[in-house]
Amino acid sequence: MQNWFAGDENGKGGIYNFVTKRGLCAGVNSKISWTQVETGSAITWKYPGCILVGDNSVGEFYSVALTNNKQQADTGTKMVHIGKNTRSTIISKGISAGRSNNSYRGQVKIGPKADGARNYSQCDSMLIGSDAGANTFPYLQVQNNTAKVEHEASTSKIGEDQLFYFTQRGVSSEDAISMMISGFCKDVFNQLPMEFAVEADRLLSLKLEGSVG
Amino acid sequence: MINENSEVILSVQNLTARIDNTPILKGVNLEIKAGEIHAIMGPNGSGKSTFSKVLAGHPDYTVTEGEIVFQGQNLLELEPEERARAGVFLAFQYPLEITGVSNLDFLRVAYNSSAKHHGLEELDAFDFDELVQKKLGLVKMDARFLDRSVNEGFSGGEKKRNEILQMALLEPKLAILDETDSGLDIDALKIVANGGERTGAAGQCNVTHHPLPTIAELCGARLCSCDGRRAYSHHWL
Repeated sequence: MQNWFAGDENGKGGIYNFVTKRGLCAGVNSKISWTQVETGSAITWKYPGCILVGDNSVGEFYSVALTNNKQQADTGTKMVHIGKNTRSTIISKGISAGRSNNSYRGQVKIGPKADGARNYSQCDSMLIGSDAGANTFPYLQVQNNTAKVEHEASTSKIGEDQLFYFTQRGVSSEDAISMMISGFCKDVFNQLPMEFAVEADRLLSLKLEGSVG
Repeated sequence: MINENSEVILSVQNLTARIDNTPILKGVNLEIKAGEIHAIMGPNGSGKSTFSKVLAGHPDYTVTEGEIVFQGQNLLELEPEERARAGVFLAFQYPLEITGVSNLDFLRVAYNSSAKHHGLEELDAFDFDELVQKKLGLVKMDARFLDRSVNEGFSGGEKKRNEILQMALLEPKLAILDETDSGLDIDALKIVANGGERTGAAGQCNVTHHPLPTIAELCGARLCSCDGRRAYSHHWL
């Protein structure tokens, strides 16, 4: 969970967070799972990756990245499949509010000896308001014809009309956004321990306070 | 059925509203008393939907003149959620799809925010489930709707029924139905037509563009016609 100082409304004075994180699945049947909730810093570049060397090893990446004001986040993962029957799952949820920019950038590389390797990637973006941006950059390199690589992406938007639907039913805008964001992030937060997921939920609501309406 | 002495629920006077710089409502007058059902009619683009949205407080519209008094309160001073809690309900012409939020959660949060406002006990998931099951029967909806995301993948008719379910749960004082009759089969229409009565809505305002206003016919409404200038009500039939 990252929540660095993001600077003022224009990102002035905010921290730059450039991170390299890699994990090596060396043994047979080994597993690495990354789960990140990324809400901080003015500029973030972060790509926790897995190198799947051991046969049957598993790599997972679950991510929620939220940007507001003028924050920029460029985050994702690298899954390098080297061993046989290696599997990886990528679930990335990006939320952009204010005038921020949020990109998913991920590489899935299947080496020539990675027979039967499988990857499933799902990248969902949510825009709040009309000035935010979301991008998805998947890099897929497949050098083994028995491998199976899937990528799905979607973009949705919380607009004024959806908020009005909630408020017309007596629900405040803040609660409406929290509900929609929790729903959007459910797949990732389900990976977290319950108490932690509740905290993550609150952190997102806090970070989005006053961003709409 | 209409008692001339009954309480005035809604009084709209000289309501003038615009979107961006385009004037749409040019001095609308309307009075609704308890127990009355009105139909607002007019051709496409005459401002029927705008009128409904302005009553509910949609942020896109600016009210430049006139007043809306709802049960003694100046509605224009209230935020949309406050209007809703006070008992104004708008059944949307195009109900929105809300991905990731289950219909059940949505209904419960909406119900509880009204309950809280009225000093009633908020219901937990179990008690609410009991309540919602009863209301489902009222609008003849399948319980499977509750687990799906709000309106997501619903057919046109299902969305409209879902609006009526929400109306049945929230028990509004004033129900505004924006083209709720279009896209419904005759059975569903009857449910809607009787909806006001069954859900305990004190007044009802139907918005329709049909030349032969099916809903109005079914529930014996008073008619008003909206030509962007004024809505005048008179008995129909």
